[in-house]
This record gives sequence, C-alpha cells and structure tokens, in this order.
Amino acid sequence: MSIAIWERPGSLAEKFWNCGKADFPIYDMHGHMGSHNAIYFRRCEPEDMAAHLRRIGVKHLVFSHHHALWGAMRNAEVVEICRRFPDLYRMYVGIVPHYQDNIREDLKLFDSWRPYAFGLKCLADYHQISLLDKAYEYTFKFADERSLPVLFHTWGGSQFDGGKVMLELTRRYPNIRFLMGHSIFGEWDYAEKTVKESNGNVFLDLTAIPGERGLIEMLTGRVGSENLLFGTDMPWFDEYQAVGGVLSADISENDMRNILYRNAERIFGTEW
Amino acid sequence: MKDLFFFDADCQVGSVPTAGVLPGVPELLADMDKFGVEKALVAHGNAPMLGAVQSNKELSEMLKADTGSRLHGVWSILPTQCPELPPAEKFFELLEENRISALTLHPFDHLFVPRRRVIGKLMDMAAEKNIPVMLKAFSNRWEDLYDFVEEFPDNRMILCEKFGKWGHDRQIRPLLENFPGFYFGLTGYWVPEGIRDLVEFCGAERLLFASGFPGYSQGSLMLQLKHSGLSDGDLRLIAGENMVRLLSEVKK
Repeated sequence: MSIAIWERPGSLAEKFWNCGKADFPIYDMHGHMGSHNAIYFRRCEPEDMAAHLRRIGVKHLVFSHHHALWGAMRNAEVVEICRRFPDLYRMYVGIVPHYQDNIREDLKLFDSWRPYAFGLKCLADYHQISLLDKAYEYTFKFADERSLPVLFHTWGGSQFDGGKVMLELTRRYPNIRFLMGHSIFGEWDYAEKTVKESNGNVFLDLTAIPGERGLIEMLTGRVGSENLLFGTDMPWFDEYQAVGGVLSADISENDMRNILYRNAERIFGTEW
Repeated sequence: MKDLFFFDADCQVGSVPTAGVLPGVPELLADMDKFGVEKALVAHGNAPMLGAVQSNKELSEMLKADTGSRLHGVWSILPTQCPELPPAEKFFELLEENRISALTLHPFDHLFVPRRRVIGKLMDMAAEKNIPVMLKAFSNRWEDLYDFVEEFPDNRMILCEKFGKWGHDRQIRPLLENFPGFYFGLTGYWVPEGIRDLVEFCGAERLLFASGFPGYSQGSLMLQLKHSGLSDGDLRLIAGENMVRLLSEVKK
C-alpha cells in the first residue's frame, strides 16, 4: 500500500489525525442545539456541544436552536445561551413565518443582540411555506437593507426551498448574504447558477455533504472552493466526521483551508 | 496504516444503471490505499436489480482483480425452493472457492418473504458455520428488520445500511440490546461522539468500521472513529479486529 493521507508528513490530514486539530480555527457556519422530536441526541445541550467543538478547534459555531425553530422558544432565550459561551456561540435568529408578531419583535431587537446575533435562519421545508411567499417579505426586506447573512435550509426538489425558489430569491434580494444550507442538495445545476449569477453574495454551505464521496470535488469544480462554507448541523453530525470528509476529498489543501476557515474570515472578518 | 488496522465491513462495486457506473475493484483498492484501509468486505452494488445469480457470478469475477487478497466477497441468497442457486451444501462449498466470506439478501427487490419457511435452510447453515449475514436491504423498513432478526436469532448479522441523514439510535439500540449476534456497521453513523456512546451502551465488540463505499468516503469515518474518545483497545476492535475475529470464527 502507498502512504495513507493521514501519514503524509506535514499534511493537514496528518495534523488532524495525530493532534485532533490544526493550527487554524474552524468556522462551523451551520449548527443547531436542543432536543429533537424524532432523533436521540445525547450531546445537544450547550455544554456537551462546546466540549466537542473545542476539541477540534472550532472558533465559532453559528446555530439556530431547534426549539426556536419549532416555535417553542423565543430567540431572546437563545441569546442568553450565547452569553454563557461568548467566545464560541453565535446565533441565527430563527424565523418562523407563522408567527409574524414574533418576527417583528425579534428583528427590532436584532442589533441589541449583537455580536451574538449573527444572521437569520429560515427552515421553509419544515414550516411548509415557500420562501417566495409574502410571509417572508418583512424578514427579507430587513435582511436585504442590512446585508445580513441568512442561512436557508435548502434541498433539491423542494417547492419551499428548492433550486427554482432559491434562484428567484437571490434575484429579488441582491444584498442578502445567502448561505445555501446543504447547497440545494441534489439540484447542483441550480446551486451553481445561484452562485454564478450572483454579485458575490451567494455561498454554498456544505452541511450534510462531507463524507458523501465525490460531492465536495464536484462543487469545488462547479463554483470554486472560495464559495463554499463549512457546516455540520451539529448536534446532528460529528465535527471529525465532517472535517474528515473535507480532508478526504480530492481537492488541494488550499481548497480545504478555504472551506474550513479562510472563506468565513474573508466574508465575515475575524472579529465577530 | 502503521498505527491502526482497518477492515471496511461495507463496500460495494459494480455497475448500477440507476446510479451510473459505480467504481469497480481497482477504484476501491485505490481508495483503500489512499486512506490506509487494509481489507474490505465487498458486495455487488447492483445485486438488487441484477439478481442474486448473476450478481454473485459477476462479483466473483470482479474479485479476481484483487491480486493481493485484500477483499472478501458477499453473495446474495434466494429461497431454496426455487433451484436458481446451487443446492445448499454445494452453495456453501462454493463460498470459499470464490473468496466469499459473508451472505446477504434482497427480499424486497428479489420478491420473497424473508422468513424461516423460505430461507431457513440457508440461514441455519450460515448460523452453524458462523457466516455473517449482511443486512443491506432493510433501509428504514424497521418493522421488517425487527421481524427478520427475531426470526433468526442464532445468526450473526451485521447491519450496514445507508439510512439517510437522520440519527437512528432509537431503532438500532433495541436490536443491540436484545440480540447478541447482532452487529452494527457504522455506515453513515455521523452522530457527534456517538460511537463512544454506543460503546458505553453495548461494548466495542458489537461495532464495526463500515464506510458505505462508494456512496460515502472511507476517510471521513476514519477520522471520526480515531477521535471518538475511545481507548486504544476499543478503537482497534472497531477499526478492524472485530471483523477479523468474526471471519476467523467461520467454520469450514
């Protein structure tokens, strides 16, 4: 057998294999927190998650709390969780389109919640309202005026947040910084199109993709590693599994660094 | 790998029309070299559509490209009442000749009922010989899977399924708790530090490194396992020693 990637002297893979972390911070741009109705999560509370995140060197996890997305917790409570871990957690304000009064209340407070409030999160597949529906207009106007990052759950074929919807949405709101959660999984042509037709404000989030053999290579080829962001859905997926998926891809170490931290720092800066 | 021996319990090769041409043995061996996986258990990726007879034959041919004897094959079984496969005794003789170390079944594609009255003879012989039965056809058909495992409690079974992205501890833990011969391949098990939690639950002896090649990369699970917080001993068991032990206990 030839030398395995984990044994190549000086490589990123060797560093993670032997040390469990590298000499740079990781930015996990897509996380959650809290229990889930249909999945057993033993490590879904802030303390357990923090231990896992710190072990591999995550600088920031930007997350939306499950319970806020299900409408059972207000975003103000999530801010308080972040305050307990000021160096680690940042939050997406969860947008539940069924609760318009809550949206207005929360967005009025958005600036006062900084730096913990990083952007907004939309989960249209679960809320069953298309992102093109007027129920989102107030939210997106707010985000567009401020050039806020908005993390969208997207999935290929969805009538709520699939390729056609996302392409139209990027055309309507040229100032929102679109983070395409799961890269419109499966509708890769649309994923590519949303990036290439944008004015540099659309990025593909890799959550659920690392570990899928060949997909990171394909997306890097289509849009360039400069437009890819790292995410794990933590506490859904293990950080080492996801980083392992990036390290396993047939891409350059420069591409890997772009994905794991350089892009986040280039787009959002290093102090947030 | 110098510091850890890996035996991948879940790989597939062969052409699958619905998925385009999937990697063959040379591509699998190249990935194993890239990541440092020494050995692998390999099934035919198109067995569900191609059928047991033809996919078994094709797999044996494909395995000839593995001149270093790093791969172990997996053959599919069918109801013995329809004489498509050789008679049971002859079928088991052929396993060793063809480098086949495990069996599997595709009842929902090959349209038979996975019960004792249908495949009991082959399953009982597999149990007598300690030949592992790979469970790869029950994805999200949990009631069928539970029925099957309960129907054949004396068999050694290895669950290696691509279930999707949602964690499935609520489904697999009861099987691990109730059936000592039930083993769990870690294909697609991406739960944060979940491998360590599973070891606490059922012991490292019941878990197997299983990548799900070619759908999933071997490397991502390797790094997850390496840093799962296990003792060196448990890590070695899951990475490869459990699979080696299972195969060493197969009776001729």
